[in-house]
Amino acid sequence: MLNKVQEWAILLVIVGISATVGNFIGYKIPIADAIPGMLILGAISLAGMILAKVIPVKFPAVAYIGLIGMLLTIPESPVAKPIVAYTSKVQFMAMATPVLAYAGIAIGKSWTDFTRLGWKSVLVALVVLFGTYIGSAIVAEIVLRMQGII
Amino acid sequence: MGQKGLSWLDWRLHGIVFILTVVTERIGTHRIPLGPGVIVLFPMLYAMILGLVLYLGKFVKKEQADAAEPMIVLAIAYLIAKIGVLIGPSMPKIIAAGPALILQEFGNLGTILLGLPLALALGFGREAIGMTHSVGREPNVGLIVDTYGFNSPEGRGVMAVYIVGTVFGAVFMGLMAGFLSTILPLHPLSYAMATGIGSGSMMTAASSSLAHVFPELKDDIVAFAGASNLLTTATGLYMSIFIGLPLANKLYSVLKPRFSKNQKEVVKNA
Repeated sequence: MLNKVQEWAILLVIVGISATVGNFIGYKIPIADAIPGMLILGAISLAGMILAKVIPVKFPAVAYIGLIGMLLTIPESPVAKPIVAYTSKVQFMAMATPVLAYAGIAIGKSWTDFTRLGWKSVLVALVVLFGTYIGSAIVAEIVLRMQGII
Repeated sequence: MGQKGLSWLDWRLHGIVFILTVVTERIGTHRIPLGPGVIVLFPMLYAMILGLVLYLGKFVKKEQADAAEPMIVLAIAYLIAKIGVLIGPSMPKIIAAGPALILQEFGNLGTILLGLPLALALGFGREAIGMTHSVGREPNVGLIVDTYGFNSPEGRGVMAVYIVGTVFGAVFMGLMAGFLSTILPLHPLSYAMATGIGSGSMMTAASSSLAHVFPELKDDIVAFAGASNLLTTATGLYMSIFIGLPLANKLYSVLKPRFSKNQKEVVKNA
């Protein structure tokens, strides 16, 4: 268990370095300003992964991570202000760039399968993605308007 | 290093990702006018495509691709943590929008309404059901394989959509979401909710694209997108079991005879 936690922590630091540097280059946020926020987000991630491992209920780590982050920053939380302030120095999009870089490298393995598909399959698949997107957007728009939110 | 316990510490992989991050963030965001709309290009899209190019160009080996897979899960943890701390402050707004958030899950059935007729028009048979009953992520693949078997037409169909989604889903969603929001004036929050289709990378790319188009709402966009994606992840499978798959089968039995009349069975392979 301790080994696993150590491994996660090291890997989180490695990803964190890429994200922090990207955050500086892409969004001009000084590295020193971003470090507290990165550490907080890393700690939330680690806590979520540990909880998923320790609690016997089958509940994925990402659910715990999202929940911890949320509970720490809801208006009722006494630590909401500083956590929101620190983590706002880390741009969501800057953190996503290394994730998709890893993903790009990993999907290479699916490339052979991909090239075997005909153009018709590809077209249908893209329309499927588009269909769920536009369908949800239209329903959301209608309901939000009925509620008078937008 | 070298011993088995540390094989996850692949410095070549992490070095490449670091360089990709630096290079792509340096290139930055670009907006390209296209017809009536705008295509937004941004670093994470270049990073994903360059990562794939490096793999196909043999600059990274299978070893790195293997090591990259668990890294996605880990790196996504950070993103989820960030989404969590964005959701917290927006919680009152999200609760207020709860009905829209829940009901838009049914919009996911748009896959069937748009996709199934197209698949049939292109000559697909039962593959069309696997392809269009849902957005074809892991839980849906599981459902179809469970119901029809891996080597069934339905199984081949869902795998085709799964593979396309895996390889091009994030890039497609990123480009499409930004473009669509510049030509079709729905509210950014409606679009934000729609990005939660049950894939972390697709939601990330699509919501980032929206955030570039509507920077004044970027925190709300990510919070709503994240909340919606969480909801889809939790409900997506049941949506497929109880509504998506039965509806796809029903629509298939209604539409298939009409399409078959006009054309011979053309397609055998998915």
